Amino acid sequence: MIVFLVVLNLDFFLPRLAPGNAAEILAAGSKVPQQAIILLEQRFGLLKPLYIQYELYLKGIFSWPPDFGISYGYYPDTVTHLFEVRIGWSMILLLSSLAFGIVLAYAVAAASALKRGGRLEAAALNISVLINSTPIFWSAMGLLWIFSIWLGIFPLYGNVDFGVSGAGYVESVAEHALLPVIALGLSIFGESYLLLRGSTLESLKSDYVFAAKSRGLYARLISTKYVLKNSMLPLISVMSFSLASLVSRLVLVEAVFGYPGIGDLIIDAVRLHDFPVIEGSLFYLTVFVIIGGLIGDFILVRLDPRLKL
Amino acid sequence: MQVQTRPQQKSKLRDAIHWFRVRFFRTRSAKVGWVLILSILILVLIGPFFEPYSPTATAGAYDSPPSLSHPFGTDYLGHDLLSQVIYGAYPSLLVGLVAALGATLFGFVVGVLGGYYKRLEWVLSASTDAILSIPSLPLLILIGIIFVVTNQLIIGGLMLVLWAPAARAVRSQVASIKKLPYVDAARTSGYSDWRIIWQVIVPKVGSIAMAYFVLLVSVSIVLATALEFIGVGNPQIVSWGSILYFAQQYGFFAGDWWWVLAPGLAITVVATGFALIGFSFEEILNPRLRT
Repeated sequence: MIVFLVVLNLDFFLPRLAPGNAAEILAAGSKVPQQAIILLEQRFGLLKPLYIQYELYLKGIFSWPPDFGISYGYYPDTVTHLFEVRIGWSMILLLSSLAFGIVLAYAVAAASALKRGGRLEAAALNISVLINSTPIFWSAMGLLWIFSIWLGIFPLYGNVDFGVSGAGYVESVAEHALLPVIALGLSIFGESYLLLRGSTLESLKSDYVFAAKSRGLYARLISTKYVLKNSMLPLISVMSFSLASLVSRLVLVEAVFGYPGIGDLIIDAVRLHDFPVIEGSLFYLTVFVIIGGLIGDFILVRLDPRLKL
Repeated sequence: MQVQTRPQQKSKLRDAIHWFRVRFFRTRSAKVGWVLILSILILVLIGPFFEPYSPTATAGAYDSPPSLSHPFGTDYLGHDLLSQVIYGAYPSLLVGLVAALGATLFGFVVGVLGGYYKRLEWVLSASTDAILSIPSLPLLILIGIIFVVTNQLIIGGLMLVLWAPAARAVRSQVASIKKLPYVDAARTSGYSDWRIIWQVIVPKVGSIAMAYFVLLVSVSIVLATALEFIGVGNPQIVSWGSILYFAQQYGFFAGDWWWVLAPGLAITVVATGFALIGFSFEEILNPRLRT
């Protein structure tokens, strides 16, 4: 809730701190006619005193659908509508990468918890440190180069081929999404493997694991059922926390792959100096992160009743 | 009553060196990290004396792949990419180091105050959480297109975003130290709040702040490069990010893989180096993680 208020105000005051008003900034460096600037100034009340602007701004946001004005770049589309169109594609990317990354991390962690200090653990540890510090846009460009430019297996950009339907449509979507999902999923893997490992090490030393061992249970059973099940809790709580950084990475991946989700929209907005879109995207993405955090909390409480206050 | 005897100046220095060695050189991953960072540093510091080309001069054929005279190839204007990577290191490393330093210091102060003073805790932890849940890239983009982008602005923006994780870690640590008996002992023997913070708590959480500093250097270099890569940055300044920006705009889809390879590799090497040092530091502070 507090976060929401902070973003609300940040979104309003940050642009107003800049010298000149938004319409003038827009005019510098673009070909918008003088008339449009005057219209914009009237539309956002940019020449009125600050508190009236603030009131207008709040009114816009709390109406339904929320009003962030009209995109400069995709005139006359509204920011909210642009988001409606693109959020689905971003969600496809985000959710499948989350699934891919976490399942992979879980599997590797389960295998490496069986043998402490083994070769698999060392390799997975080094790889995930490396993944964590590789800029994701660079690794994404690497994937794109190898598979799309050099080998030509996957498409260069976009989300779906034009003019396909039925099963072909699904196939085409999957084909376009595969590389971005691998890029993002691997970065999620790196992050969550480190985490799972940390909490695994702790629960391996706990009494219930010792008890399970002394009862003669299989190592495999111990690692999946006893150790990793308990490691899921910190993973979920940290994941809902790092959702914000995940969103940033999503933006970069979409930028590289030209995948028409919200990230791509933001990149276009940077090029076109499309103010309302960037303001709106900051707002919507933050709301998204907050909702994601709430869902995470909800799942946590369901999984672990001790957390209920 | 003077309970503690002041150590000699000389052994203090030795203590400091020991402190440093234990925290930064003991594990193998930290050593690897130092090797990675030093190799880039040597390249960057010595490079300008040997490199025959200026980063902004047309030094060879356009778009030529790596060769003997241009080990990293040339870009679409014939700039030598090796010298671009060398000169581009300065702004990238500077931004990373300064932003991480500022963010750590600020986060440290906020964390210590928030952990120590009950009354401040609510305000400080709320603002920390707020920063943590705003996606940093869109926020930085917004800042970047409103203001004229300079290195100072990017540093400021990165500090604004990155102090929060450090503050959170420091705060939880301070809160748990505060409950320890010797803090009560210090208070009953008449230490003021200020003195408890300075002499009891700060030395304890200083290591955590150091670990965060090292990790944040890696994070902020990557984030700053990402911004420039997107186009929020000053493309006139040669930096790792701006090389990648031009590469994606003009060379990548034409198949100039060498243009992307060199700067990206440099970033990855530096970031991995700092991350390895940071992780081993964390491991030393938190022995449960040790293998």
